[in-house]
Amino acid sequence: MANTGRTVSKLVNLVIGDSGNTLRDIPINSISVVGVVYEEQDLTAFQDAVRGALPNMPDAPIEWTGPFDTTAAQAASGSGTVPVLSGSHTVLNGLNGGFTPRSIDVQFGIRQTWETGEPQFGITATDTSGYLITSYTVNPDDMTYSARAVLYPGSSLPAWGTAAEAAS
Amino acid sequence: MAGRTTNRYIRTYVDEFDLSGYARSIGPLSQVYGEADLTVLTDAAKGYFPDQATVSPGTYNGVFDNTATSGFHVVGSNYTQNRVVTVAIGDRAAPVQGNPVFCGEYLQLSYSAEDDGGAVVANMPFGPNEQANLINYSKPWGTLAHALSAADSDGNAAALYQDGGSDATAFGGYMVYHVTSCNGDATIKMQHGAASADSDAADLAGCTTGVVDFSSGGSGVVTTTANTTSVNPFIRWQVVTGTATTITFVLSFVRASF
Repeated sequence: MANTGRTVSKLVNLVIGDSGNTLRDIPINSISVVGVVYEEQDLTAFQDAVRGALPNMPDAPIEWTGPFDTTAAQAASGSGTVPVLSGSHTVLNGLNGGFTPRSIDVQFGIRQTWETGEPQFGITATDTSGYLITSYTVNPDDMTYSARAVLYPGSSLPAWGTAAEAAS
Repeated sequence: MAGRTTNRYIRTYVDEFDLSGYARSIGPLSQVYGEADLTVLTDAAKGYFPDQATVSPGTYNGVFDNTATSGFHVVGSNYTQNRVVTVAIGDRAAPVQGNPVFCGEYLQLSYSAEDDGGAVVANMPFGPNEQANLINYSKPWGTLAHALSAADSDGNAAALYQDGGSDATAFGGYMVYHVTSCNGDATIKMQHGAASADSDAADLAGCTTGVVDFSSGGSGVVTTTANTTSVNPFIRWQVVTGTATTITFVLSFVRASF
């Protein structure tokens, strides 16, 4: 049963579609702001008493870091099951620089392993919607990696929800 | 033994030298694409395509050592811009066949010594890809085909190993080799196969050094015939010894994936 209330970061799971379009849980240890951020279009006139703006084009890049890991690809865990981690290198090495949109699902388990009904943010990929990976860097000083994903041009907007994203 | 690891299992090779024994750090190992903003006014959100990649092994930092020929100071201070670099990452042990490698040919930007808490150390920063051999390949991550060790005969007994997925790819690739010692002529090449049996192995088109006198060592980057060359899922190293009776080398292969 889905929980409500507060939670901790150890229950956040990042799920991504790999180069074969199969969903994988990958290890992370930090993640950027997750959500949609609108560009502010300042439309203030001299005569206005206060500054005013309208939301313009939204953007939703996601950046994250995690331990470098070469574990073979595993099927993603899905709802209510402890994440089954695939290697970060195993998954991301095949995605960086590619032009095929992929699904991303950031799942926020609420005091338990994420399950349907608890918050998630992401998008299910189609031929013209989803995320592309544009950066994958490994830092041997601490054997971690960092990665960045941006939306495919013309993509639908990712959104908050409570049901897992599909691979496509 | 796939999984997570620590940097004590990293080995670094530059040209015909094994610099692992001088290394204190290297990196970041970066492959970063420019983001071309292709958003139009009617889009639901901002969208981007990956443009040109910037690829670099970062900065090699090592202990200052002027041992003749192979000391880091001797190697680092005597450069001619381009360096063949391989960073092999072992999985909780020294790197072995199939482990990930970051490799290619990069500009060496400088060489400088400095004090670090009383220790004399030196830095060898690398820039992006050099402009000749790998201009059509943006991917630096491959697998280790042959860990640094000696081979004294043809490598037919070496098993093919699965490099990536289960299907052939059609985007070519390149091999990176470092010969640290040898006593004559030899040929280093890559072979590939649809399965792992010895009988499946065939030469990978273009991926060969040809016969080279490696008596003074050697290093290089060799691409497949084209970046559309088909590469089967299984690969292996191969050496054809000519006048040489032993050759000690490291070999990696990068399979381009798109």
